[in-house]
Amino acid sequence: MNAKRFVLTFVTAMVIFGFILTACGPKPVPEGPTVEETQAAPVQPGDGGRKVATLIYTQEFDNLAPLYTDMWFAWTTWQMFLHWAWEFDEKNEPFPRLVTEIPSQENGGLSADGRTLTMKLRDDIKWSDGTPVTADDFVFTWEMAVSPNNTVTSTYPYDKIESVTAPDPQTVVVTFAEPFAPWLATLWHGILPAHILRPVYEAEGTIDNAEWIKTPKVGCGPYLLDTWESGSYARFVRNENYWGSRPILDEIFIRFVPDDASQVAALQAGDADLGTFIAYSDIPTLQQAGLNIVTEPSGYNEWMFFLVNDQVGHPALTDVNVRKAIALSIDREAINRDLLLGLTKPPASFWDAMPFYNDPPLQNYPYDPEEAKRLLDAAGWVDSDGDGVRDKDGIPLELDYGTTIREIRQDVQAVVQQQLAQVGIKVNLYSVEADVYFASYGEEGPAATGQYDIQQWSDGPLFPDADLYYWLCSEIPSDEYPAGSNWFYLCDEELDSLIQLQATQVNIKERQQTISKINQLFYDKVYILGLWQDPDIYAVNPRLKNVKFSGVTMFFNIGEWDLAQ
Amino acid sequence: MGRYIIKRLLQGIPLLFFISIILFVLMMNMGDPVATMGGRRVTRASDYERLRRQLGLDKPIYTQYLYWLIGNDWTKTDVDGDGVAETPGTRRGVLRGDFGVSLVSRKPVLQVIGERLPNTLILMLASEFVIIVGSLLVGVYSALRQYSALDHIITALSFIGYSMPIFFIALLSMYIFGVLFKRWGLPYLPTVGMFDPQAGKTTAQVLWHMVLPVLSISIISFAAYSRYIRSTMLEVLGQDYIRTARAKGLPRREVVYVHALKNASLPIVTVVGLDLPLLLGGAVVTERIFAWPGMGRLFLDHVSRSDLPVVMGILMMIATAVVVFQILTDIVYAWLDPRIRYEK
Repeated sequence: MNAKRFVLTFVTAMVIFGFILTACGPKPVPEGPTVEETQAAPVQPGDGGRKVATLIYTQEFDNLAPLYTDMWFAWTTWQMFLHWAWEFDEKNEPFPRLVTEIPSQENGGLSADGRTLTMKLRDDIKWSDGTPVTADDFVFTWEMAVSPNNTVTSTYPYDKIESVTAPDPQTVVVTFAEPFAPWLATLWHGILPAHILRPVYEAEGTIDNAEWIKTPKVGCGPYLLDTWESGSYARFVRNENYWGSRPILDEIFIRFVPDDASQVAALQAGDADLGTFIAYSDIPTLQQAGLNIVTEPSGYNEWMFFLVNDQVGHPALTDVNVRKAIALSIDREAINRDLLLGLTKPPASFWDAMPFYNDPPLQNYPYDPEEAKRLLDAAGWVDSDGDGVRDKDGIPLELDYGTTIREIRQDVQAVVQQQLAQVGIKVNLYSVEADVYFASYGEEGPAATGQYDIQQWSDGPLFPDADLYYWLCSEIPSDEYPAGSNWFYLCDEELDSLIQLQATQVNIKERQQTISKINQLFYDKVYILGLWQDPDIYAVNPRLKNVKFSGVTMFFNIGEWDLAQ
Repeated sequence: MGRYIIKRLLQGIPLLFFISIILFVLMMNMGDPVATMGGRRVTRASDYERLRRQLGLDKPIYTQYLYWLIGNDWTKTDVDGDGVAETPGTRRGVLRGDFGVSLVSRKPVLQVIGERLPNTLILMLASEFVIIVGSLLVGVYSALRQYSALDHIITALSFIGYSMPIFFIALLSMYIFGVLFKRWGLPYLPTVGMFDPQAGKTTAQVLWHMVLPVLSISIISFAAYSRYIRSTMLEVLGQDYIRTARAKGLPRREVVYVHALKNASLPIVTVVGLDLPLLLGGAVVTERIFAWPGMGRLFLDHVSRSDLPVVMGILMMIATAVVVFQILTDIVYAWLDPRIRYEK
C-alpha cells in the first residue's frame, strides 16, 4: 500500500468512525460561530445573552500577583483586574489611569534633579470590595517589594527608590536614591491592596503565603478573577463595583493551550476568539480561515550577538572588519522575504520599535558578499591552504553559532551557514532546548558560559523604556560572579559609560542624544546584527470588536472589548 | 496473606527512601529555577542571589535534601542576607506530610498535584477501560478465529495504530472531527479543553471533550494489548487442560472465558499492574495537544521551570504507586492462579 493510499484509507476510516462518534454523542452546545457564519451574519452572544470572550494563552501564568512573577502572560493579564498607575495605548503612549496626570517637570510632578516624583491619585478609585485605593497602597507595595522577608521575583525598580511617602490619601511622593530615567516604563505595574495584605504581613512577617498572592480576587480593574483552574483555564468576570465605565463583556475566559497546532485548530474551529504568539508559518492558514492577524511592535527583535572577547570567543570576532564582513555576507532581506513571508524587515537599530531613540534612523548593511570578501582579505583572513575556509596565523575562521530549537531559528541558521560559507567562513550550527540554552552560568548554560561565538535570540530595550544593561563590563559572568548578565563578554568602556549615563538622564532630550550615540556605536562596531523584527502577533476572530493592543500589554482597553451582536 | 502484605509494605519504605535520594540528586542537576524567573529576560544578578538565598537553593545538596525530608523548623535561616541566621524555618518536611511550596506558583505542592490528579484519573482510567475491554474483545476474537479475514484486518490495523506517533493521531483527529466536520456542517467534536465556557463544567461537557483525547491514547495501547492477548490466548488454547475441558463436553463459552481466559490473563495482569501507577503520571503529549489539565502537563511545565518541590512530589507519588500496585498485582496473581501461594 503506497503512502497516499494509506493516508486516504486512514482518513476515510477516521471519518467513518467520527460519524459514528458524533452521531452517538450529546448534541453539542451552542458554540461560537464558524468563520463563515461570522462573515455572513453577525451572531448573538452565548447562552442567556451573556457575552463571553474566549482567549487562548499558549503558556499558563505561573502567578497572578504583582511582584511575584515576571512572566509576560501574567504581566499582561494584570491590567484586567489591577490597573497600572499609568498605562500605554496602541501607540505605546502613556496615559493616566489611577493618577490624575502623568508626572512631568512641566506639571511639577518630577523635580528638576530627577530624584522626586509626586503623583496625584484620582479620588474615585476603589477596590472591588469597596475600599478606596489610596496612597497607602502605593507605599505598601514599595515596602513589600523591598522587604527581605518576601520572595518577590525582582525588587527592580523599587530598589532604586529611597522612600515612598503619602502626605495625604491622594498624594504619593517617590524619592529615588539617584536620578532614575526608566521610572515611567517600570513603576507601579499593579499595586497591592494594603487593607488585605498588611494584616497578613504583620501577623506572619511575609506576604508569601497570603491567599491574595495565590488567587488575587480583589482588584481595581474592569474584571475580577473568579476561577483559576490550574492547567485548564482562568475565568474573569465583570467587576460590578468598577469605578470607571461599565465593562461591556460579561466574562473573559482564558484557556491555556500549550500546543501551537492545537491553538490554530481551536481558532479555526471558532473555539476561541483570540490567539496569542502566533507562529509566522500559521498566519496564512488563519487568514484563510477569516481571522484578523494583528502585529504589534513590542520592542523585541531577533538578533545575532557576537562574542567579542579575546579570552572567550573566536579571535576573528574581535576585529570589527570581520564582524562587518559577516553583516555584509548575510542576505537578511531575503531571509525576511522567504522565511518570514515578507511580514517583517531586518532591524538596523536595537531601538527599531522606538523611532524616537533611533534618530537619525540607521540604514542596514546591504547584502554585499564581494565587499565582505575584500574586508576579510584586508583583515588578513585568507584561504591559505585551499580548503575553502579562511584562516590566519594557523587559526581557521570557523565559528560556533548557537540558538534554541525554534523552527524558524534553525531555518535561518541553515541559510546563514550557506551564505557565510560562500565568503569562506565555516559555521558550526548548534540548537538546544530553550531552558538549556538560557541556563545560568552556574548551571553551565551554553549562552551564559560563552560557548558560542555567535548567539541568537529575541531581545530589546526595557520597552517601552529605552534602557539596556546587558553590555556592562561589570556584568561579565565569572566563577566569582556567576549571575552576570553580559553573556557577550564584551567590555567597551565607551559603551559602558554611555549605558550608565542614559539610565540616570531624566531629561528626555539629553537621554535621546546619549542613546543615539549608543545606537551608532552598536552599528559602527557591529556588536549585534538584526535579523528580523519580532512583534507580538495575535489572531483575532472578527466577532470580537473594539480590540486594541499596545506593544506593552494586551489589555489597556479591555473594558471596551465587545462581541458582535 | 496479611503478613505478606505488611512485609512487602515494610520493604517498600527503604526502597522509597533510596528512590527519593536518587531522584533528588538527579533533579538538583536538572536546571536552575531562578534562571527562568526573569520572564523574557535574564534574571538580574541582585535578584538571582537574593532568591537563591531565600528559597534555600544556596545550601549544599545534602542540606536541601534534609530540609525536604524532615523540614527546617528546627533551625534558623538567613533570609535578609546579612550572614546571620535569624529567621526560624517553617517547612515540616515530607515525612510530616509537607511536600513544600511550588517555586513557580507559590502554592503548596499537594494542592498543585491535587488540582490536576482528578483530571488525569478521569482521562486515563477511561482510556484504560477502553483499552482493556476493547483489546480483550479483539484479542480473544483474533485468537479464536486465527488467520480469518477479520483477524488479518485486525492485525493490520493494530500494526498501523501501533506505528503511528500519538501526536499525529491527536492532531489529525482534532483537525478532522473538530475543524473539518464543523466546516462541513456536521456534528463536530471540541478541539481543546475540558468544557465549553458557555455551557460550564458539566459531566456531559467533560465526557464530550474526553472523546478525542481518549481515542488518541487508546489507539496505540489498544493495538499492543490486543496483540498481547491474542498471543497468550493462542498459547493457552493449545494447552492439554483446554483439550481436556473440551473433551469433557464443557460449553465452548465456558472453556474460552473461564478456563482459557483466566489463565491467559496472568501475564496481562502483570502488564496492567505496571501500567496503572504510570497512569498517575498522565499522558504528556495528549494532554498538551488537547490542553487537558492533567499530571503530564503539570510535570512537563514544572520540569521546564526546574520546580524541584513539585517535580519531586509527582515522582514520589508515582514511585509509591508503583510499589503499592506491585503488591496489588501479586494479590491478584494469587486469586487468578491457585498454585501461587505467598505464605507457607
